[in-house]
This record gives sequence, C-alpha cells and structure tokens, in this order.
Amino acid sequence: MTRPSFFGLLLIAPALAMIGALFLYPLGFSLAAAFTDGSGNPTLAHFAKAYELYSTDILFTLFIVVTATILTGVVSIAIAGILTLGETPWLVAILRNLYRWPLFIPFIVAAQCMRTFLAKNGLMNNSLVAMGIMEPIQATSLLDWRGIIITFVWKQVPFVTLMVAGAMASVDRSTIEAGRNLGASRPRVLIELVLPQVAQTLLVGLVLSFVTMLSVLSVPMMVAGSQPTMLTVDMAFRINSYGDYATANALGVISYAISGIAAWIYLRHNVKREVQA
Amino acid sequence: MTVTSSGSAAIDIDHLKVSYGNNRVLHGVSLSVAKGEFIAILGSSGCGKTTLLRTIAGFQKASGGAIRLFGRDVVDMPPEKRGMAMMFQSYALWPHMSVLGNVGYGLRLRGVSREEIRKRVAEVLRMLNLSGLEDRKVTNLSGGQRQRVALGRALAIEPEILLLDEPLSNLDAKVRLQLRTEIKTLQSRLGFTAIHVTHDREEAMTMADRIVVMDAGHIAQVGTPKEVFDNPVSPFVASFMGAENTLHLDVRASGAGIEVKAEQGHAVQWNGDVPVGPVTAYFRDDVASLGDPSVAIEGSIVLPGTITQRTYPGGHYRYVVAIADRHFTVTDDDYHELDRPVGLRLPLASLHLFPSEQSQGGFHA
Repeated sequence: MTRPSFFGLLLIAPALAMIGALFLYPLGFSLAAAFTDGSGNPTLAHFAKAYELYSTDILFTLFIVVTATILTGVVSIAIAGILTLGETPWLVAILRNLYRWPLFIPFIVAAQCMRTFLAKNGLMNNSLVAMGIMEPIQATSLLDWRGIIITFVWKQVPFVTLMVAGAMASVDRSTIEAGRNLGASRPRVLIELVLPQVAQTLLVGLVLSFVTMLSVLSVPMMVAGSQPTMLTVDMAFRINSYGDYATANALGVISYAISGIAAWIYLRHNVKREVQA
Repeated sequence: MTVTSSGSAAIDIDHLKVSYGNNRVLHGVSLSVAKGEFIAILGSSGCGKTTLLRTIAGFQKASGGAIRLFGRDVVDMPPEKRGMAMMFQSYALWPHMSVLGNVGYGLRLRGVSREEIRKRVAEVLRMLNLSGLEDRKVTNLSGGQRQRVALGRALAIEPEILLLDEPLSNLDAKVRLQLRTEIKTLQSRLGFTAIHVTHDREEAMTMADRIVVMDAGHIAQVGTPKEVFDNPVSPFVASFMGAENTLHLDVRASGAGIEVKAEQGHAVQWNGDVPVGPVTAYFRDDVASLGDPSVAIEGSIVLPGTITQRTYPGGHYRYVVAIADRHFTVTDDDYHELDRPVGLRLPLASLHLFPSEQSQGGFHA
C-alpha cells in the first residue's frame, strides 16, 4: 500500500514541484501582497486605491469581455450551424477551410493587423469608400472599444466554433431530420433542437474564451491605447511606471474574482446537468 | 405490377434516380401508392430501400425523376415543406425535451396554442397507452416507450403520409410484435398512407397491404404479401422470401404435358406451366416433406436421401437431409430416425421454377 503511493508521489513530484514553484507560490505571493501593507499588516488600502483610480476600467473590462463573449457565441453558433446544416457543399467547404485560420495567429499579430484594418484610413474604410458604399467624410476610426471587441471576437470565434461544430457533428443526425420532417426550418432546428444538445460544449468554450480575453494585454494596448482601458493594461502600467506591485496585485485579485464568477457559472451548470443525468 | 399513375395517388414515384457521387443507388424506380395504403419496402442492406425512403422525405436529393404527393411534384422541395411525418430507427427523440415537448413540437411549429397542444398531446398519448407521461424526460423511458413517443410525435400533426425507417429493429422481440400491431391498428383507424422500410420479411408480410421487394437499386417485385410469397417473379425474390433451397431439374416436353426429372430420383409426369429446359427450383423448408423413398407420388418428385440431423425448434421437427453431395433443410411434423434412407417429397406445384441461366444471374440474399 505505501510503496505504490510512494512511487506514485515520486512520479508526479517534478510536475507538482513545477506547479508549486511557478504557479501556486506566485499566486499566493501576489494574493498576500494585495492584502498586506509594507510591514506585513493586513489592509484593504490597495483595493481602495485600485477602486479609486480604476473603477471605470473595471466596468470597461467587464463590458468588453462580456460583450465579446456574447458576440463570439452568436457568431460561433452561426458558423457551426452552417457547417452542420448547410446544404450548399461549396459554401460549407470554403467556410470549413477558412474559419480556423485565426486560431494560428497570436493576439499581438491580430492586434497589429486590426490597427491597419480598422483605422480611419485603414483597409476597411478605404475598401468601403472605394466600393462606393461609404463617403470618405463618414470614415471613422474603430480603434477604441469597438476595435478591442472586434479583435477578441475575430480571435476567439474559431476556437469556440471548433468545439461547437465538433459537438454538433456528433449529435444524432436523425434528431435534426426529425425536426425538419415535422416542418421546422433550418434556423429553428439550429436554435431549438441542435443548440440545446450542445449547450454544454458551447458554455465550456465561452467560459474559456472569457478567461482568455480577460488576460490579454496586447490587444487593448495596441488597438485602443487611451482611457478607458482594460485591467491588464492598468496592471502593466502600475508595475512598469511606478513599480507599484501592491495596486497591481489588487487589480489582479479583481481579475481573479471576475474569472471566478465565470468558473462558478460553469460549475453550477455542470453540476445541475450531472444531477439531471 | 404498379397501380396506375394518376393524380389521386398519395405518392407517385416516377423513374426516380439517386446517386451518391458517381455511384448510382436508385436506377429509375417507379411506384404508385394509393391513399390509405400500407406499403412495405423490403430488401437486404445496400439495396437502396432506405435511400428511396429518404428521397421521398427530402433528405436525399434525386438526380432524376419525379416524386408527386397527391399530384404535387415535391422533388425539389426541402423536407420541412413536404408535410410528412417520419419514424427513425434510433427513435430520434430530442433528449432536452419532455414527452410533451417532443410530441407537441410539430403542433408548436404550426402555431397551435399551448393549451390546445397539451390537450392534443394527451389524446395522442392516451391512444398509445402513455397517458400521464407528459412531463417525463424522454431519456427516462424504455426503448418501447421511446418509440411510442416517436410514433406519437409523428401522428400528432395528423400527417397524410407516415414514413417508417426500420423503427422496430432496435426493440426486443416482444415489444416489436406489440408495436407492429399497434402501428397497423392505428393506420387502419386513422387512415394515413404509410411506407415502411424493413429487412424483416415477417414484419413486412404482417403489416403491409403491398410489398415492394428491392434489389440493387431496382424494384424486383411489387404485390400483396401473398402474391410475392407464393409467386415470386425472380430467383432473387424467391430466395428473399425464404425459398432458400435450390435444386437443378430438367424439364422436357412429353406427350400432352411435361416430364420433370432431377439428377437423382424418377422422372415425373406433370401438366403445370413451367419453362422447358434446365431449370432451378427454389423451395422453402416447409413445402418439402419426408416419406418412404420407394413410393411414387403424383405431382411430386421424390428424392432418395438420408437424414443427417434432427432438431426440434417447437411445433415441428427440422431435419437436414443429405441427397448425393447436397444438404437440404426440411421441416416435417413427424418424427423420423437419423441415418435412415428417406424420400424427400417435393410437390411440383409448390416449387418456384426458373430457367437455370436466369437464376445464375440473380443475387442471393
């Protein structure tokens, strides 16, 4: 009994040590630093300061991430729906080959692309003007909150679509056919019959996307830049400009709390499903 | 063979062709189904029977031909516009909905009010002996109950046409027999037209008004169960309907009638209507009987052999009889000793005789 568990421990020891040294220790350290003052006494002063300086940014971050998550969900469902229920073979083939590309592009490259694409004289506006859809005078820069959301959605849609389309492909095909047979149009089949069967996978994809978007620094920094901005930019600024680790840690704890809510929603739903099943 | 094509037919299939890529699966199938008729499409796997059903439902595109429902061509219409109902082998119930949600979905699509749906679903469930299960999750039902719910879902919209894609083949034997009767009873009561795809001969025989036997993308024969069973038009249909024993015979003109002779045994005079020349006889286990090898019987050929095996499946005995180097399965009511010389009696009128060249070309199930 003791020997196998000892060997087991030995086997996982390197991994455990890595997690401890590179994740648990820094996490604990930053948590502790957020709640203590210079001499080690507990305090909430850092949070007061973080709130005073960055309350708008906290709301801004929440707004950006929630909106981007919802839009990611909507676009992913639409693409996965076309892939699953589409009846135009060439359209489905093109979409199937195209939609994954952004998966292989890092956030920072995506942000750089969007800078040139969404600017006042960027590719998008120039194309729209050239096509006669828009007057040059109407051209505005989208390099603000809209730019961040567009970049996030563009980057996360392939990931969520990959998961959702995979789940839809494994749904019993005859449940789709039964719906159409009774007279349901394809959009209704997608919303009422297919989506509920893949809701679990969609939720996992969205929660993971939510947490990813919450932690991206390059996109808000490059695409929007000015105030208000996201918490990641604020944390980098506190550390780089002031060496103010305490406030940065407090902002970090707020970020944990936000992703904690997402994790809680996910777990609660998961448990409910398991109880039902 | 088929009922005349007219506007009154519930389903009129006209030279329907279907291909998967370059592989043609249906080679110009024509079939007319009258209103209120129960048709069974019977065939071995890969014969195109499911493809035919799915093309009627609209899930498979036709590459040629027409499908007319009550005179209206639907060949280019999406499945949701065709107004049929279908039952699937895998039940195809929606796991996230209750029984009420599943059965009432078609009514919901038709804009029926909530209370009306509840009322009509309750009626359908009562008809199917599922009363009180409205709020049960479909994942908590047995296989038989699930398929009943699927039947209820199909019938709730009061369809003119019901398509059945092997709906009973996942059920255990007892439930299958029950549902067979229930579907048949409901069909005669409600009067819908039904097309039932199956590979189970007995199921087709007991449920259908007419049977369509399919072979390699063609219709091999259409007829009432009795016609198809007693008068198969080809060796394929004969062996598919259970006449799996084959025997080579020689038929010669002799006097007023003909003379039939097997390799073993004596020539028999007969006046039946059979092709002259070398023929292959197809017969079922139960048309043969066993008796004294030396007694000649009029209208029957008697082949001398020995009994090599005897089993009792219940009701009658089943024997394996060796004649020269061939073995035949025969059912007989009487008890016979093993390893004894015996005469295999085959009444000529019960044999299905086809010229030997034709039978070599046929497919055997």
